[in-house]
Amino acid sequence: MGLLTSKERRHFPDWDDPAQCMFQRVTIDLEKCDGCKLCTLACPANVLEQFGPKGAKKVRVKADHRGCISCNNCHAICENGAIRATQSYDFVGFYRRFGLGEFSKPRVF
Amino acid sequence: MTEAGVRVPALEDAEEAEKEAGRVSKIPVVPQGAPWTAVERVMFERRSIRKFRKTQVPAHVIRRLLEVARFAPSQGNCQPWKLVVVRDAAMIQGMEDFCVGECRKLTESLDYATMRKGSLKYRVARAKTKVFGRLQPNMLHPVPITACTAIAQGRFAVFHHAPTVILVLMDKRAIGVPAIDIGICGTNIVLAAQSLGLGTCWVGFSKFLNESKEWCAKFGAEDPFEIEEAICVGYPVGDTTHLIPRETHETAWFEGGKRELIY
Ligand SMILES: Cc1cc2nc3c(=O)[nH]c(=O)nc-3n(C[C@H](O)[C@H](O)[C@H](O)COP(=O)(O)O)c2cc1C
Ligand code: SF4
Ligand code: SF4
Repeated sequence: MGLLTSKERRHFPDWDDPAQCMFQRVTIDLEKCDGCKLCTLACPANVLEQFGPKGAKKVRVKADHRGCISCNNCHAICENGAIRATQSYDFVGFYRRFGLGEFSKPRVF
Repeated sequence: MTEAGVRVPALEDAEEAEKEAGRVSKIPVVPQGAPWTAVERVMFERRSIRKFRKTQVPAHVIRRLLEVARFAPSQGNCQPWKLVVVRDAAMIQGMEDFCVGECRKLTESLDYATMRKGSLKYRVARAKTKVFGRLQPNMLHPVPITACTAIAQGRFAVFHHAPTVILVLMDKRAIGVPAIDIGICGTNIVLAAQSLGLGTCWVGFSKFLNESKEWCAKFGAEDPFEIEEAICVGYPVGDTTHLIPRETHETAWFEGGKRELIY
């Protein structure tokens, strides 16, 4: 038995298929972003890039992005709270993840 | 009383002894909503740092990290780690170059995402990964494969050009699951570093160095030792301590004969 179905256990997801390997997007609030670029430097997956005219640069997720690991290092370094990952990466089949709940900042109990 | 007349001291005995000795310690009170302790704060503020300032960390600060490592818990107190400190930029670059080379080899033979879709090479690689994945599901996980490709293509680094790299070698003969002890030892290092204003990054890709006899000989990573992890240490670029959102995890809580799921 187990938590995976036998079909899932046999299915190794294609890592070039975004429908099978769901490396989630981050959300960027362009109003708050001042284009400082620090998040692009901190991002381990290299999925962020600067865009826009000189003096009014912003940051966005690259079109051919692959590999955002929802680590929120971008959020940790942003002075403006302009960027954050709000969804976990996940997979179909063998690597399906279990028991993940909502994102939350450290809570006080 | 067992046959040999030896008795394992019971908890009641221990509490009794404490009382008799007049050394009953006070149970610490943590009021609800109390502010985080320094240790908790360090755990929340720690991030993996992959962009470092060029300034070298003073030797005595690194010695402090080695000191906390020494006091990490380990199975049966077996202390299966051996630490190696590298602080020469040229040497770290050499390690980097070697690991990048290994990533290239792996990517060229396995990562079909970098190959022309539908080509023979693509199909062969894809089939290979499905077989290897079954044998080595942790290594062939899509996340490290993607990172490996990024390293091979120069979009990601192995040692992140850190001024100091601490290699954590593991004695493979140690008790139980020695990799756990390595993780705990490294956690001591990483958290102490954070408390000292340093940034760190674990580097699992350092394991590629095990493929080189020369590097291993240099580090003393010879049987029964192998390189299990590395930890980059330096001063972070930017203020990386803004608290971040992270997943909550389903946790079963058994109490009062009931089971509750909390997050
Ligand atoms: C054992 C271990 C090995 C890791 N190896 C690497 C690595 O090779 N390269 C890297 O950039 N990050 C590595 N990391 C860092 C993780 O990616 C990071 O801890 C995770 O994304 C969570 O982000 P945070 O550490 O900033 O909270 C490793 C972490 C651990 C615990
Ligand atoms: S760190 Fe924040 S402000 Fe700076 S570019 Fe990234 S999102 Fe924009
Ligand atoms: S969550 Fe992590 S991987 Fe994703 S964009 Fe932010 S820094 Fe990059």
